[in-house]
Parts: sequence; structure tokens; C-alpha cells
Amino acid sequence: MGDGTLSTEPILHIENLHKEYDNPVTLVLNNVSFDLFREDFLCILGPSGCGKSTLIRCIAGFEKYSGTIEVDGKRVESPGSDRTMVFQDFNQLFPWITVINNIAYPLKINGMKDKAERLKKAETYLNKVGLSEYRDYYPHQLSGGMKQRVAIARAMALGSRIILMDEPFAALDAMSRNQMQDELLRIKEGEGMTVLFITHNIQEAITLGNRIMVMGNSGNIIEHMENPIEKPVTPASPGYSELWKHLNRLLRNECQLEKGQ
Amino acid sequence: MNKKLCAQIAFLVFILILWQILYSMHIWPELLFPSVSMIGDAFIRAFTERELGVMILHSLRLLIEGLFIGVVFAFILSSLFAINENLSAIYNMLVCMFDLIPGIALIPVAILWLGIGDEAIIFMVVHSVIWPMSRSIIDGFKAVPKIYTEVGKNMGLYGAKLIFGVYLPASFERLFSGIKVGWARAWRGLISAEMVFGGGSALGIGYYITDRRTNLDISGIFATIIVIILIGIVVEYGIFRVIEKNTVVKWGMVH
Repeated sequence: MGDGTLSTEPILHIENLHKEYDNPVTLVLNNVSFDLFREDFLCILGPSGCGKSTLIRCIAGFEKYSGTIEVDGKRVESPGSDRTMVFQDFNQLFPWITVINNIAYPLKINGMKDKAERLKKAETYLNKVGLSEYRDYYPHQLSGGMKQRVAIARAMALGSRIILMDEPFAALDAMSRNQMQDELLRIKEGEGMTVLFITHNIQEAITLGNRIMVMGNSGNIIEHMENPIEKPVTPASPGYSELWKHLNRLLRNECQLEKGQ
Repeated sequence: MNKKLCAQIAFLVFILILWQILYSMHIWPELLFPSVSMIGDAFIRAFTERELGVMILHSLRLLIEGLFIGVVFAFILSSLFAINENLSAIYNMLVCMFDLIPGIALIPVAILWLGIGDEAIIFMVVHSVIWPMSRSIIDGFKAVPKIYTEVGKNMGLYGAKLIFGVYLPASFERLFSGIKVGWARAWRGLISAEMVFGGGSALGIGYYITDRRTNLDISGIFATIIVIILIGIVVEYGIFRVIEKNTVVKWGMVH
């Protein structure tokens, strides 16, 4: 955890991050600064349109920005396999290759020459997300939840320093969503992953994150806190309802502010 | 056998019967409107007594060479956008300009520059393939969903690797329909060129059909047209449909 005893150097360092869109001129990210440490699970909550997706896209290297974004001390200039993005869109797997090859292909690109080794690693991670029997299926034969699991397996197999998740479960039904949350936590603990997770769902942020950040409408951070609730989190966990109310109040204020303007 | 196929075959049989009825009514002279069996005879004779078989092989060889050159160049030139936007804009303009020139209008240029030979025929085939193919590739690349290219870049693909790893398979459906259009255009361009100057170093199918006309052999002309259609059907069902079934259909990109 990011308690500073073991890992004093942040994996991800963000300082004074600004981002503007030109047409019309709008400030999307306003003076965002935070650090992400090894094995952190940081959830970023915010109303829709607050710039949280833009933030994660800047970190992924898909957008230009001003300010500082550094991964292991190196400035982010372009996309790279040290930060793998898991998108909300189910269609993030390549439809022209099978499930197993969707996981193995990025390994090939990143220099793993031996095919048997690639497949073995891909199988290991496919097994971790519980989809071993689907290894030779094509993506269109899987459900939405399964596709997201394969996307997570692909990111893990690649061994990225940070996994960036942009509302990966937002398009799932409630039951699959809860199941995926449990699985993600289990895998995260087992693998020691570092995750930055975007969501607009308060329950999701409380359940998953060891830290929670709330973004406001003007693209600034209005709350940044350690999640005090012990895992596994259920609505019956002590402190859950207080935290939920606190976060909900912040989000609702933002919504009212927007309407008031 | 499925219903659609039965309907298709029944329709063809109906056309043959109608043709034969029209023939037996003797509305037009036999010299212009032959019977079904006369066309059948001419079809067999074309391969047994005359050399249509050899000519078809020659035409197909030129066609495949031209098609290959056209597709490869269309692919390379259409991929310029990954290197430089200005080059790509220039190429887009060239595609719009040259796609409008009918192949037959370039035959004089082909003859004067390359002479009456295989090169001229291949030139004609390349011209008829490269522009429509380029349009398909350019449009296909533009239509590739952003998420695939972002995922590709995220895993470390760029430049040519991104083209082959993402753009090519993601737009395969459109590229393939470009190849289908290109093949049809090439086939037509080839036959027109052969009708004008024989067929390069050896005689081709276009020469055969002109030769039948000069001999006033209407059955032979129809027999050649049937051969042209048959080759088209073999390519469509024997090659294109099989490729589609093993690619875009298997990948769930078309139904």
C-alpha cells in the first residue's frame, strides 16, 4: 500500500496537469496533482463530463497536455506498454484473432520471441480470469463481461507498471459488475498490480479503491482520501454509509453547481 | 440443396428455355440468333478444335500479375498517411484524377509507350485495379474504429507495424470488397485491351471474341461470353466466398 514505508518513489507522478480543448475553449483539467505508488488502487470518482476520462487518456499518452506526467521519472510523451489501458468499450479486443492470441500478441510485439512461452504466459493469465475453456474462441463469441476479463488478462500478462481502467464495468449489468469487482480485487491482490480506476459509481469506488479521489466539474480535484473501510467491502461494513454519504454529497454539489450556472 | 440456389438455377434454366423458344420462332436470322445447342457446340469446339483454353490461361496469367502489382502498389501508396500527411493528400488527389480515366482511353498511351505486348496489357490491368483499390483502402483505413488503433499504440505498435497489425486486419472487409471491385475492373480492362491488340506476346480471350466476330461466328461469340461469365463465377464462389468465410465471417465482422 502507499503508506510510504516501502515505496517512497511514486510509479506515477502528476503535477500541475492542465488540459484545454480548443473549440470552444474549455478547461478540462485544472491543476491536477497526485502520486500513485506501487500496489495502489486509486479510484477516481466524478460526474460525467468532469474530465476524468481525459485525465486517464493523458496518462495513457493519447492526449497532449501541459504540466507534468511521469512514469518512473520519465515524462509521458506517447502511448506505451508500461501503462495499459482497459477501456469501457467491449470492442477493445482484436476481433480477427482468438482470445488466447489477443493476450499473446502484445507479448510478441514487446519482444517475447518464443511462441510456446508466449502462449504459456497467455494461458496462465487467461486462467486467472477464469476463461481457460474459451482460449480458442473469437471475441464476438464472448459476452461483454468475458471480453472485459480478457482485456484485463491482456493488460496483466503484459506486466504493465500501471493498469489504467476507464470505467471498464460501466456497461455491464449489476450482477456481472459485482462479480467483476470481486474478481478484480482478488487478482489485484494476487498480482500486486497498481491500478488507476475511473468510475462514476460511488459503490464501485468504495469497494475497489484503497484511495479515492473526487473530481469536480471544473476539472480539479475536490477530494483525495485514503479509503478507511477494510476489504472486503460490503454495504454493511462499518463506516460504509458515512463514506457513501460524504462522496454522494460532493458529487451532488457538483451537479447542482453545474445546473446553477 | 438450399432454396436460394434452387431459385437461381431454376431462373437460368428458364432463360435457356426462353432463348430456345425465341430461336424456334425464327424472328431473327440464325446468323444473328443461334440456338442453345449451337452455342453449346461452339463452346466445346472452342476448347477442342480451337485454342481458347490456352488463351484463357494466358489472359489469366496477365490478369494475376497486373492484379498483384495493382494491389501491392495501392496498399503501399494508400499507407502513406502513416508517414506524411502531405504525401497522402497528393496521393488522394491522384486517385480522384486517374480513377476517372476509362481504361480504353489509355490504350493509345499503352501502345505507344510499351508497344503491343504483355507489358501494355499489364499496364491496363494495373490502371483498372490500382485506383478503385486505393479508394477502398483509404476509406477502409479511415473507418477503422479508434479503439483498435489506440489499443495497438498502447501495446507498442507504430508506423508500418500498426498498419499491418491493426489497420490491415481491422479494415479487411473493405479491402476485400476493393479487391472484388478491382478484379472485376481488371477482367474487363484486360478483355478490352486484348480486343484492341490481340493479347500481348500470345493471344488472349479478348482476341478470340474479336476473331469470332470477323468470322461471323455468333455462336462462338456467345460461347466466349459464357466462358467469361463462368470464370467470374468460379472466382466469386471458389475463391472470394471461401476467403470471406475464413476471415471476416469467422471474425464476426460481417454476418
